[in-house]
This record gives sequence, structure tokens and C-alpha cells, in this order.
Amino acid sequence: MLTATGISKRYGPTLALDDVDFAARPGEIHALVGENGAGKSTLINILAGRTAPDGGRIELDGTSLLDGSTATALRRGVAAVFQTPMLFERLSWEENLALGGASQGSVGLELSDVKAQAYVRASELDFALPPPGVRVADCAIATQVRLEILRALSFNPRVLILDEPTGVLAPAELTAFLAMIRSLRSAGRIVIIVTHKLAEALAVADRITMLRAGRKVVELPATETTEDELARLMIGELPPPGVGHRTPRPTGEIALELENIVYEAGGRRLLDNLSLYLVPGEIVGIAGVEGNGQAELAALLSGAIVPQAGGIDIAAGGAVAVIPQNRDREGLILEMTLWENLLLAAPLRKRFVSRAGMLRRRRAMEFCAELLARFAIRSAGPAALAAALSGGNRQRLTVARAFASAPCAIAAHDVCRGLDLRAVAEVHQRLHEYAAGGGAVLLISSDLDEIFALSDRIHVISRGRLSAVAPADRNPVRLGLLMAGATA
Amino acid sequence: MMLARAMRPLAAIALAGVIVALVLGLLGTSPRVVIGALADGAFGNWIATVDTLVKATPLVFCGVAVAIAFEGSLWNIGADGQLMAGALAAGALGPATAGWPPPVAMVALFAVGAAGGGCWGALAGWLRARRDVSEVISTIMLNFVALQMLSWAVHGPLMEPSHAFPQSAPLAPAAELTLYFPPSRLNSGMLLAVSLAVGCYFLLFHTAAGFELRAMGRNRRAAVYAGLPVAWLTIWTMTMSGAIAGLGGAVQVAAITHRLYEKLSPGWGYEAIAVALVARLNPLAIVPAAVLFGALDNGAQAMQRSAGISPVLVQVIEALVIMILLAADSGASRRLRLALATSRLAGRIATTPAAGSDA
Amino acid sequence: MLDVLNAFLAATVAMATPILLAALGELIVEKSGVINIGIEGAMLLGAFAGLAAAWFSGSLLLGVIAAMGAAVMLNALLAGLVVSLAANQVVAGTALNILALGLTGVGYRRLFGVTGQAITVVPLASLGGASLAQVAVIGPLLAQNAIVYVACGLVPIVGLTLARTRPGLHLRAAGEHPAAADALGLNVYRQRWVALLLAGALAGLGGAYLTLGYTGTFDEGISGGRGFVALAVVIVGRWKAWGIAAAALLFGAATALQYTLQATGAAIPYQLFLAMPYVMTLAVLAMVGGQAQSPSALGEPYVRE
Repeated sequence: MLTATGISKRYGPTLALDDVDFAARPGEIHALVGENGAGKSTLINILAGRTAPDGGRIELDGTSLLDGSTATALRRGVAAVFQTPMLFERLSWEENLALGGASQGSVGLELSDVKAQAYVRASELDFALPPPGVRVADCAIATQVRLEILRALSFNPRVLILDEPTGVLAPAELTAFLAMIRSLRSAGRIVIIVTHKLAEALAVADRITMLRAGRKVVELPATETTEDELARLMIGELPPPGVGHRTPRPTGEIALELENIVYEAGGRRLLDNLSLYLVPGEIVGIAGVEGNGQAELAALLSGAIVPQAGGIDIAAGGAVAVIPQNRDREGLILEMTLWENLLLAAPLRKRFVSRAGMLRRRRAMEFCAELLARFAIRSAGPAALAAALSGGNRQRLTVARAFASAPCAIAAHDVCRGLDLRAVAEVHQRLHEYAAGGGAVLLISSDLDEIFALSDRIHVISRGRLSAVAPADRNPVRLGLLMAGATA
Repeated sequence: MMLARAMRPLAAIALAGVIVALVLGLLGTSPRVVIGALADGAFGNWIATVDTLVKATPLVFCGVAVAIAFEGSLWNIGADGQLMAGALAAGALGPATAGWPPPVAMVALFAVGAAGGGCWGALAGWLRARRDVSEVISTIMLNFVALQMLSWAVHGPLMEPSHAFPQSAPLAPAAELTLYFPPSRLNSGMLLAVSLAVGCYFLLFHTAAGFELRAMGRNRRAAVYAGLPVAWLTIWTMTMSGAIAGLGGAVQVAAITHRLYEKLSPGWGYEAIAVALVARLNPLAIVPAAVLFGALDNGAQAMQRSAGISPVLVQVIEALVIMILLAADSGASRRLRLALATSRLAGRIATTPAAGSDA
Repeated sequence: MLDVLNAFLAATVAMATPILLAALGELIVEKSGVINIGIEGAMLLGAFAGLAAAWFSGSLLLGVIAAMGAAVMLNALLAGLVVSLAANQVVAGTALNILALGLTGVGYRRLFGVTGQAITVVPLASLGGASLAQVAVIGPLLAQNAIVYVACGLVPIVGLTLARTRPGLHLRAAGEHPAAADALGLNVYRQRWVALLLAGALAGLGGAYLTLGYTGTFDEGISGGRGFVALAVVIVGRWKAWGIAAAALLFGAATALQYTLQATGAAIPYQLFLAMPYVMTLAVLAMVGGQAQSPSALGEPYVRE
């Protein structure tokens, strides 16, 4: 039995967890739900030993778990698979597994033993292992998730924590994956699954605990509640309104066109004869499971990569503003000030640099201050460092920058990842208004709800190829099939 | 605020001095005598002070060169070689400028010096940008190559006419920089150095080019995604860096040595790294930092005369300064201070394990 | 002609050995995720300490031990800075080089001043004696001193340990993804410390070879950039022990060529030969290019969250 009582954790001025209690029983699958920012990640970081709480107690079968390191947590029987992959990409999958629970003792590396155990476990869980010697980097993302779970299992944990494990899966793979999770429950093992997707939580869990704004809101058996009720509890108020209806105005001009783009790297074809066009006033959604070329498409539009073949055409005098997926690594320079980060957008650079090449500092800072106010970004001012902003505010900054550069098209890649519902509604509203005002938006996302809510036209990207989705096929099932690679 | 920031490097130097003094004491030499000799050698009289400035000048050039590259996260360890390449070019042209009007000769010398150093830097920059060769290794390799080129030149094609010594023919008088207030060696090269430092400060912090360089240095990936021409910036920055160091070499030849010989640089390029660190990569601060290290170098010779300690001891002090600054500045200590500050703000400290743990 | 070839082969092995030792040490360090620019300083300090110890004690063995010990201490200083304090690895390494230059300079002049003459010792004898060296081709290759044999033996040992043992895997994990290694219970700090100390011992051995195994004397330029060449050798060797051995031989040959061609009296300036290893390093690096095979976390300081 895992019990946590009175857990509190503060990060600077924010109280991430406020006197939270959590309990999970042996042999149960327990879902921890809540919107982004509710404190789920913080709680499991504490349970897994990654962070120490400011206050409270955690006990597993009577033994305290508060020693603050993942190594001790592992020894005590708590293993976690986090959202950011913790695999060693350049090592083979066998070596990755060898770093798991069998890790003590011998000097020699008994890879054959590791493999034998892995095959046994994998067949129990009904999934196929890659061929011998394959590097993790060359495995599909869905396989990587499973390998991490295998590795966690090799520690024979009493508690297995899975943090948003379904994020990278195609809709078609979901059922099999959830079935696998159900089979993990055995011999008194506790499985804690963290998710913000209520339907999945209901499908797989025995009990559900919900967090909201750092507090525990409710804990109940899955059978005693519905998705609607959970949704209401999750936000605690009326859900933000969806975006209004828009009629795309076919103006005849093209804002952005990609023709037969081919991009290869590392011996693989990542973008395969990709063609696409955007017309002002419309939002085109690109749906797909992560890892099928979305990142490369965004990189292409940023100018970070150059295709081996094919052309990009942008409406005269215009620019494409890209909101990248990984804001901290690709979107912002955390050690620079906010106004300097704005200058990363080429049109803004042109605007705030004199012909002699001098920076127009004062004007740039004033513009920044105005932008911070307009987009409600909480900060200490234009001269603050980007690192000082919270994650949500950093995202607001990248979104603000994209709009402020007055582009003819905006490409947004997973723009709402990690944002809470109110922030998501805000971003959606802005994109909607932007398109209504004549802008063009390319919405690259793995979230089907977002795609359906906003897009005028939808494409599915699979293995670097795009396929258009007919209006009749605009439903999750059909789209799921297309995302999994089925041909029209 | 500025004063507070300046305190840390000064404290580091003081600490390094204390460590060395302790060690010297252990070895049987009186630290007071040594430090006295250092101070006297550096600032004892008017001539000595000017000489400190003379020794500081190449450090300003190299320090600025290093700072610019480091701002772009380009680890230019080759300022020595770049300086030598510039000196070589200047020393080669120098004798040929006989009869030229002095301003023209001077500008020509500076131009070839900058060009020579610039080429040397550009090579490393190109290797990094186009062939992904670490500039740390390439600049160091180029240092050794430059050393041999210089050696070959003064033993061979540029050797002075009488073939008696391994040095080049002297510069034509037109190319020599005037020395003011002889016997002091005050020269206009120093003014050039300071102007360059000021100019580079503006470049780094007030121009678009400087912004792009700093962006690339802080987060190369984000710079690429922002559409910044990272390959071009790499080459351009290394070229600039090399050119500045090369200019320093030309000034050294034109003002001080008036000819080329083998061991032209006592390691200014490496010392410049310490200078740049102490100055926190700010070109304006490099001038006082260079003077400080110039004082150490100048005083070191006096130290040898009066205390019998090898001037090489100064290198130990420099190394200690770098290490102390690194330690004080490092990620871990920064995080520690931040964590302490945060926990003080929150009014709590992480709890100790609850009773009943089997720890 | 045969004499020339013999001499060339012998010189190749002799020149390659210190580079090989330093490079093997650097391989271990880089696999753990750290880049050590300061190998040059470690070799230099080792060379000096070894010579001084051998001179004062009369024992070459003691000299070798002292050499390794001095280099280990220098690397410990580096480890404290870049591992425990997560400082910038390039700058710290450069500081170490300057420190070693300073320490050896001061130390040497103290000793030199005391004795009034250059310090020399009789270098390590080669195994097999003079007769073995006369055998064509094989002779010079085999007639090397103990350090060379140790270096050769280390190639498969280091290679296999890294690739096929559990400690090797742990080390590589620390260099690929330190955060993940930490999460699995591996102590990344300890891995890197151990790697740096081991590398210190190897660099020290390489330095000992320079003074005690080869020349029998010391001068300030004795390490001559070999530590830096070792950095390049690791890259050229694709971070594999056998590749490194091959690359080290290549560079050894380039350096040996200098003596051979000089001996033939060719009218080529000697500076060209002195520069040759460095030019060749650059050329090979330019051809072989990238760091794509390097450990993923190489050069990034790691601080546990």
C-alpha cells in the first residue's frame, strides 16, 4: 500500500502542491488526472524520488520513501517512466535494458540473459522486440516507450508510475497499449498512470485521483464517475468557450506553398515528396503521430534545414513565423532578455535594426513592453531574462512573437503542449482571430481535438508524406487509421 | 553594481596571490619580498609603469579577440598563432616600406597584420563551419604551425641580410611606430588597442551582427531555428577574432620589436583567456584586466632579479586565477546560491526523513 | 636502406606511444562525457615529475610511479572543477595546461639551479636487448621498452572494458545521457571522477615515457603538443580503442618521418617536419570531419537537479 500524506511543494512563489494526500492499493491501476499545471508531474516526481517535498510523508508498505534520490526509490521498489524519454539513444536496446534492474553484481555484461528475460516479459505484455543490436534511436517511438516500461519492470517494482504514456501513440495503438497496462497489474503491484486524457483514465483505471491547482479534488473508483463529471471537476468552472465559427474566404492568392519537398538525413527520408498550400484566411491542420516528419516540416519552415529537392513559395514580401515544439531549446534563448528574444524573429530584426546595422534598443524594448501587456505575459519587464519566465509564460512569449512579426502565415507545432485549459483556449482564440483577419495558419498537432476544433482543412502526415482528408472522413476513427498509415 | 561585479575577479586574483604566497613561504622564499618585487617591477617608477602598459597591449588585442570568439561559444585557443601570423605578415612587409610616407606604411602594416591573423582565424572557422572540426583542436594545431612558419621565415626567406642571427631584417623607419617620451616605449599602438576594445564593445552589444553572434553563442539550436546564418557567423567571428589578434602582432612588431624572431609570443594567446575571463568577456573590462596581467608579467622579471624566482611563477598565478573564477562562477555554485535564496524566500527548508525510516 | 627503415619503424612506435597512452585515457574520459583539454599539461607534469623522482631516487620505477601520481593529482584538480563544480571544461583544461607549464618551469629551474647541470637519467632499456633490434623490420617494432608494451596491452583492455563490461556500460551511459543514468541509480559524478583519474594515470605514463623511456632528459617543450594531438586521435579513431591505436601510429609515423628525412639529408627545412604532425592532424580531421560519433553528452557539464 502506497500512502502519501500532507505533501506540499513550493517552487519560488508558486505552490505546486498544497497538502495533498494520495493512496494506492496493491494490485490496482490508479489514475492521477488533472489539467496541465495541476501538480500531477510534481507529485509523481516526489513519489519517484526525483524531488524532495517541502512537507509531508510517503510510505510504501510502512517504509518511508523520503530519501530524495531516484536510486533509493528504485531500491525501495518505485520505478517511473517519465514523459521525456530516459533511454540512451545511441546504445542498443539490449544495452538499455541491461542498465535496468539486473544492474548489480557481475562485471561481465550478460546481454544474453538480459535479452532472454526481455523476450519473456515482452511476450507476456504482447509486444514485439526489435531485432538484435538495433540502436534505440532507430526504433519507433512507440517501441521506445515500451522498452522503457520493460526496463522499469526489470527492477521488479512494487510501484510502477507511467507519466502520460499515451502521448506519442497513434489512436489505433491505444487499445493495445491500454490492454498492456491492464496486464501490468499483478502480484500486488501498484500501477499509477498520470494523464490529462479523461477517457483513457476511465478506460484503464480502477481508481482515479484528481488534482486541481495543487490540491486534491476527489478520489473515487472509476466505475462511480463519468467523463463529463470528471471534466467539470477538473476545471471547476464552465469550460472556456470554443472558437467561433469561421468561413474561410477563398481569396485566390496563396500565402504559402510547398512543392514536392524531399528531405533526407541520417540515411532516412524524413519528408517524402511533401506538397502543401495555404490560403489566407484558413487554418490547415496537420494531424499525425509524433515522429512522422512534423518536426522536420517545422524546421523546414524555420529555415533550419534545407530540402534536397522541392521548393517553398511564400507570398510576396511575406514571412512565415514558426512556433516550434520545444520552446526552451528551439524557440527561446533563455539566457537572453525578453526583448532580445523578440529579435529572433527575422521581420522584427529588420524592423529594429537601423540601416547601419545598429540595434534600436530603446524602441525594441518599448515594443516588447507593449507586447508583454497585450499578451498578458507575466514578467519583470522587457529586460528580464527569458529563463525567469514560467513555462506557460514562455509559451505565450513565443506565440506573441509569432503574431508580432506580422507574418503572412504562422506554423504552430504542438503549440498547446503543457498549457492549462485556459491558456489553450486563449491560444486557440488568437489563432482563430488571426485567420479570420486574413492570416494563414498551419496547425501541426498530435492532439486530434485541437485539429478538429480549429482546422478548415486537414491533412494527415505519416512517414513524411501528406494525405488530404476529405470532409466526410473528419472523424477520429477514420483519422486514426490514416495516421497509422492506412492508405485512403 | 559595477563595482560589486568587479570585486569577484579582484578577489580571485587576491586569493591566487595568497595561495602562491603560502607556497612560496613553504619553499623558503619570503612572500613579502616576492610581492614587493612584483609591485616594484610593475609600477615602481614611470618607465616601469609604461612598460606594464607595453606588456598589456598585446593582451588587450588578444583578450578582445578571445572575448569576441567566446561570446559566440567559439573556443579560440589560437590567439597566439593568429598574433604570430599577423606579426609575420607585418614583419615581411616592414622592410619593404622604406621611402613610404609613415602613415601609409603604418596603415599598410596594420592591414596585412589583420589580414594575416584573419586568415589564420578564418581557417579554423571554416573547418568548424563546413567540416565540423572542433575549433579547440584546430586553433591549437594552427598555433604550432604558425610557430614553425615563423621559425622558418626567420631562418630562411626573411632572415636578415648578414645571416648572423635568426631574425628578420628590421622594419623601415617609416613603418616603425613612434615612441613617445623615450626611453619609455609609449606608442600609438596602445591607443589603437583601447579604441579597438571600445569598438568591439559596441559591435557586440549595439549592432545586429553582435546580437546574432551572442545568440549563436548562447543557444546555437535556437539561433538556427531563428534563421540566423550560423555557418557564416562562425567563419566571420573567427576571422574577426584572428584579425584582431593579428593586428596585435603587427603592432608589437611595429612598435616594440621592429623585427621578427622566433619566440615572439610568450603565450599571450593563452594568457588572454585568463584576461577575458577576468573581464567576463566584456571588451571594455578587458583593458583594465590586461593591465593587471601586464603588471604581473612586468613585475615577474623584477621578481627574478631580486628574489630569484622564475618568472614562470606568474603562469601559476594566472592558472590559479582562472580556476578560482571558474569555481566561483560555476553552475553548481550558482545553483546552490539560487537554491539558498529561494528557500529563504519560501521560509522553509526541505524536511528531513520522517521517523521510522530505515536509513 | 634497411637501416633507415628500421630506424623509421622504431621511431614510429616511440613517437606513437605517448600519444596512444594519452588518447586511451582521453577515450575513457570522453566516453564518460567530459572533454579534457588539459592532457597536455598532465603529460608535461608527469614527464617532469617522473624525471625528478627518478633522478633523486635513482629508481626508474619510482619515477614512473611519481609521474603517474603527479598527473593523477592534476586531473583530480580538473575533476573537482568540471565534475563537482560543473565548470566550463575547455577553459578549465586550458588553465590546467598553463598551471602545468608554470609548475614545471619553476620546478625545473629550481632543480637546474641547484645542480648546475641538465638533469639526465638513463632511459628504460628496451626488452630483448640490442640484438633483437637488429632483426629486420620486426626487430625495431618489438625492441621497445616496457611502457610501450603496456600501452599496446592497454588497447584491447580499454576497448573491451568499455564495450563489453558492466562498468564500461555504466561509463558510457554517463556520457550519453547523464540525467537518465542518474535516474537509474548510477552516480554520474563518480563515473567521471574515476575516468579523469584513470586518464591522469595514463597521461602520466605517457609523460614518463617521454623523459624516462625515450630521451632521458627534460625540457619545457618536451610534450610538444602531443596532448592536443591525442584529442584529435580520439576523434579520428572514432572513439574506438583500435581506431585510436591506428590513428596514433599514423601520427607517430608522421613525426618519425621528420627524423628519417632529416637523416637522409634532404634539403627541406626542418620546420616543415616539425609542423607536419599538426598539419596532418588538421588535414585528417577535415577529411574525417564530424563529431557525429561522439558521446551525446560530451562537453556538457552535468548538475544533478
